Amino acid sequence: MSKWIIRLAVLAAFVAVPFYLEGFWLQTGLFAMSAAVGAIGINLLTGATGQLSMGHAFFLAVGAYAYVAFSADLGLPTPLAAVLAVLLTGAAGGLFSPIAGRLKGAYLGIATLALIFGGQHLLFNAEPVTGGFNGRAVPPMELFGLTFADAPALVVLDVPFGVLERLWFLGGALLLGAALFARGVLRGRPGRAMNTIRDHELAAGVMGVPVTRYRAGVFVLSSMYGGAAGVLLALVFQRTVPDYFGILLSLDYLAMIVIGGLGSVGGAVIGAVFVSLLPQLLTRYSDAIPLVAAPGSGGLSPAEAARILYGAAVVAVVLFLPGGLLGLFRSLRPKLPRVVSRIPETRSSHAG
Amino acid sequence: MIPEFEPALLRAHSTYQPDGTDALEVRDVTVRFAGVTALDGVSFTVAPGTVHAVIGPNGAGKSTCFNVLSGVYRASEGSVRLGPAELTALRPHEIAGLGVARTFQNIALSPHLPVRDNILLGRHRLTRSGFLAAGLRLPYARKEERIHAARVAEIAEFVGLAPWLATPVGLLPYGVQKRVELARALAMEPRLLLLDEPVAGMNSGERVEMAELILAVRRSLGISIVLVEHDMGMVMRLADRVTVLDFGRRIADGTPAEVQSDPKVINAYLGES
Amino acid sequence: MTTFLELLVNGISIGAVYALIALGFVVIFKATEVVNFAHASLLLAGGYVVARLHPYVGFWAALALGIAAAAVIGAAVEFLVIRRSKAANHSVLAIVTIGVDIVLTTELTRQIGTEVLAMGDPWESRVVQIGGITIAETRIVALVTATALIAAFLLAFKYTGWGVAMRATAEDPETAALMGVRLGRVSLSAWAVAGALAAVAALFLCVFPTPGLDRSSSLAALKAFPAAILGGLDSTTGALVGGLVVGITEALMTGYQNDLSFLGRGIGDVAPFLIMIAILLWRPAGLFGTKELARV
Repeated sequence: MSKWIIRLAVLAAFVAVPFYLEGFWLQTGLFAMSAAVGAIGINLLTGATGQLSMGHAFFLAVGAYAYVAFSADLGLPTPLAAVLAVLLTGAAGGLFSPIAGRLKGAYLGIATLALIFGGQHLLFNAEPVTGGFNGRAVPPMELFGLTFADAPALVVLDVPFGVLERLWFLGGALLLGAALFARGVLRGRPGRAMNTIRDHELAAGVMGVPVTRYRAGVFVLSSMYGGAAGVLLALVFQRTVPDYFGILLSLDYLAMIVIGGLGSVGGAVIGAVFVSLLPQLLTRYSDAIPLVAAPGSGGLSPAEAARILYGAAVVAVVLFLPGGLLGLFRSLRPKLPRVVSRIPETRSSHAG
Repeated sequence: MIPEFEPALLRAHSTYQPDGTDALEVRDVTVRFAGVTALDGVSFTVAPGTVHAVIGPNGAGKSTCFNVLSGVYRASEGSVRLGPAELTALRPHEIAGLGVARTFQNIALSPHLPVRDNILLGRHRLTRSGFLAAGLRLPYARKEERIHAARVAEIAEFVGLAPWLATPVGLLPYGVQKRVELARALAMEPRLLLLDEPVAGMNSGERVEMAELILAVRRSLGISIVLVEHDMGMVMRLADRVTVLDFGRRIADGTPAEVQSDPKVINAYLGES
Repeated sequence: MTTFLELLVNGISIGAVYALIALGFVVIFKATEVVNFAHASLLLAGGYVVARLHPYVGFWAALALGIAAAAVIGAAVEFLVIRRSKAANHSVLAIVTIGVDIVLTTELTRQIGTEVLAMGDPWESRVVQIGGITIAETRIVALVTATALIAAFLLAFKYTGWGVAMRATAEDPETAALMGVRLGRVSLSAWAVAGALAAVAALFLCVFPTPGLDRSSSLAALKAFPAAILGGLDSTTGALVGGLVVGITEALMTGYQNDLSFLGRGIGDVAPFLIMIAILLWRPAGLFGTKELARV
């Protein structure tokens, strides 16, 4: 019962935001939503299956640029362009599967560096498609007759709905769908196989899990999540910028899932919100916070401060809080004692 | 009284018909790596529906032998046949698909997952839902989960794990975790069960229970069981036939009584029981 | 032809420097089973100390201090972070090093700002003519130093007590501990040595003909990762071969860039990663890495 009350409250708060909060918060929230979608994906790969990947930013880039290419260059309707962009990203992940299937854990992490640097090389050099250094303008989404841009003007309940307000709900829907799908995967047959591949890959194989195929499959799934996050990001930014999709972004995603809590959808979302909100908040309130200086003044900039903070948070979480922030929330709830008291004595339950 | 284990109610949902009518034939298996010959021309036959023990002093190659049987190690020479299938040419998950299940000496369970989920992993080869079906929660995926969860509950009941189905495995005592390992292997509805030191680390009471469990499995399912074991008492109680390894070679093969009084075997163990 | 030889020699020399970095990386992996993504920041730290201090204490003292600083930071990471990690699997341990890397790199690049720092080395921009090809003095010194260090390291690895302890730990930590090897000391020294080697590499990566130490210097160090993995993450020989492969590839691709312009600007920087992929497709464990015994 209480679960549903909480869910309704969250939904109400979510719907209310565009009516009350200004553009800065909407944009930050949308970044967080995009980050959450991406984080859910990398969590499936790294948190649940134990395969480290530094290449996530590459798949975000593929999603973003593919959307632009499909809609602006090929003239496809934008919703179709978005779906195709996600599928194309999956195909890109599939191309990498001879590596992704055969390498395990941290080894894969190093190999995926090739995706990041190779990807950036492509972004800067394949100018006809990618626009080189300048990137490209992103066609706004047109769905059900509604254009997700500032024009034509739309007013809802006396509140002018610009591009950010409109995207807010699209982003929310995307995040909800992404989260539910991932949860289904994790709680079902694939999730069990993935967890066992991470914990005991030999046992997984011996129990009948085709490990190589699964690793490749999760890599493709994770890359599609990256692609979807990239599409949302492109719609929010309204511009693709190649510099953004570099190794720092990939590292950001890894930080998100560790800080939030490895292996779960909730952890990925919490971590994504934390890591995306932090630099925005520090920028906004840099006057009030002692250490942080205004950007460009030579002190510790908000972006740098945020980075140091969450780098340190990653270390702190692994050392002291292995379940991440989600684990912390869970342990604060009074449920834990029920499990602990169930540790049985060895002989008591055996019948006869 | 340990309840009788009903053979799969769910044969209709299985992808194969497990039966204990095929012998496991190990012929001249040799395993060489890093300059070491871990197994040297080892041969033995496991008659269908019997319990066959593989024993030997530490380092004799028992675990290596198991790894070859389950496909984890590649045999440098020799063959392992289960009925018509040549196991040395197959990957571990393909061997699992033939109905060969295995437990590990050191527990290989996912500590964060509850007992139910760990046992459910054993159903992997008997179920079909993939990423799409699971993610979209398609009806057939949900039905599959329900049916197989019911079967897992039965298996857990048989093995004595019913009270702990929802408990994360990592929180359970060692002896109970070993039973979860066994349950997981049984969940595969195997026709050949490989048990790697099933009572290692248990006290004598737990050993008796496990031994009875193994006998009950054999009695109810009629499957072949191969076990690696140190405990001669267990071997005497359980095994129909024993193969003794030392330094990677087979030094004896026969009934427990024959093997126990074989001077070569006594020599190899140097008085260990 | 002279172009080719020049590029080759430069490639070998820079490859030797990459080998130094890769070697440290492999040593950490062998001794502590950690893939150290903070390696580039160790390098940056060492180089930064040298760059900042040489106006005050002279080049050689600054170099010594830089090496010491990197060694200390490496040891500190091992002692304070790695040793205490409750990480269940190696991916998580690797992510911890990423956390350390984020902190160190952010702070160091902030300190460097937009400056390009000189290393204060005595060889400056002098070049040497050997048999018709022109090579920077720094490159020759780099090659000689790197070769000497690598040789000394390999000899120590093989013949000293420390080396035996390191190899025993890499092989089987439990037995090594039972045999009296102090695992803590082995780990600590592995990280310290790796840091020291990285600092020396930093020097050679930031002298002529590169403009100096700047924000992007740590990115240059990242090329040692493909060097280490294509050689085989647990093989010291592999680190050497990998370093050379990467150095030569990079030099040749950058040198012939104009002829290869269809591949895009900056292909020399990407080429090491592409070579790595090619080799991994052929040999997933790297050229000299130990192939996994167990298959899945």
